[in-house]
Amino acid sequence: MDVKYINSFISSLLEVTEMVGISKLKRIGLNRREHLKTENDVNVIIGLVGDIKGNVVLSMQEATAKNIASRMMGGMPIYEFDMMPKSALCELSNMINGKSASKLEKIGVRVNITPPTLIHGYNMASLISQVETLVVAFSGQEGNLELNIATED
Amino acid sequence: MDPNQTLAPFIRASNSVFKQMFDLEISKGQVQSEGDTFISQGFTVMVGLTGKWNGWFFLDMTQATAIKLAQIMTGEEYDTAANEEVLLAGGEVANIISGNAITDINNLQPGLNIRLSPPSIFTGEGMSMFNVRLNACSVLFQTEAGNIKINVVMKEAN
Repeated sequence: MDVKYINSFISSLLEVTEMVGISKLKRIGLNRREHLKTENDVNVIIGLVGDIKGNVVLSMQEATAKNIASRMMGGMPIYEFDMMPKSALCELSNMINGKSASKLEKIGVRVNITPPTLIHGYNMASLISQVETLVVAFSGQEGNLELNIATED
Repeated sequence: MDPNQTLAPFIRASNSVFKQMFDLEISKGQVQSEGDTFISQGFTVMVGLTGKWNGWFFLDMTQATAIKLAQIMTGEEYDTAANEEVLLAGGEVANIISGNAITDINNLQPGLNIRLSPPSIFTGEGMSMFNVRLNACSVLFQTEAGNIKINVVMKEAN
């Protein structure tokens, strides 16, 4: 995994979240993912196929997901995590990865992305792309979120 | 999109893979309707598809079935589905099934040029998958190792 690829994803996430009205996020860490278990109940996955192959997963806790969806819909309060917030988060992930794909294309890396899918569950363990996964952690007013990037170059 | 073109190749591929790799006969296949979300039985493998069509392939089973399949593949005993080898085994099965199925689709309809993203495996409690273009029907296979469910989400790329 090349660092110049990671930067496209990080800057796209920061730009897109700012654009949809989420408070300024701060990057709080960049690590290898060491455990299969995850504390995050909400995961939005997008597949990448092309010059790089892999999956990108945006994951967070349910409370954070509700806060973000509420912010995206102009402050509308969200009581239940139903269709509406789920599709908002799918769209957020789609925008981030779409932007990343166009940034990657500018540096000569062609990728296609699949539509997003949201996975919601408890006590989850996961293995993304069966390869080493990089985790970029962000923190903001809405809560913490993680961008898991697992690509085979 | 016609399910005969999208779902049927995956059904054929699942059938032959379970027979050849695991010696498991699918005794009964039935259509199961899904609402707006795909309800997981506890262990789900997802493979992304891109090309002229894009979408996802889901392979879903209970954690016990996933452990059983991994045991057949490696010959070892596992006590939890969150074991890395069980997750890898599940990913491999889905990879082979979807690989066979898209070869079939690409041969039947040259020019579609569908390709696969690497499989991702999720296991947990009360899992559900949400996708805007979810296929309303899953296919549930009954085997000796337990129930195995597949779903294909596909749309034409713009």
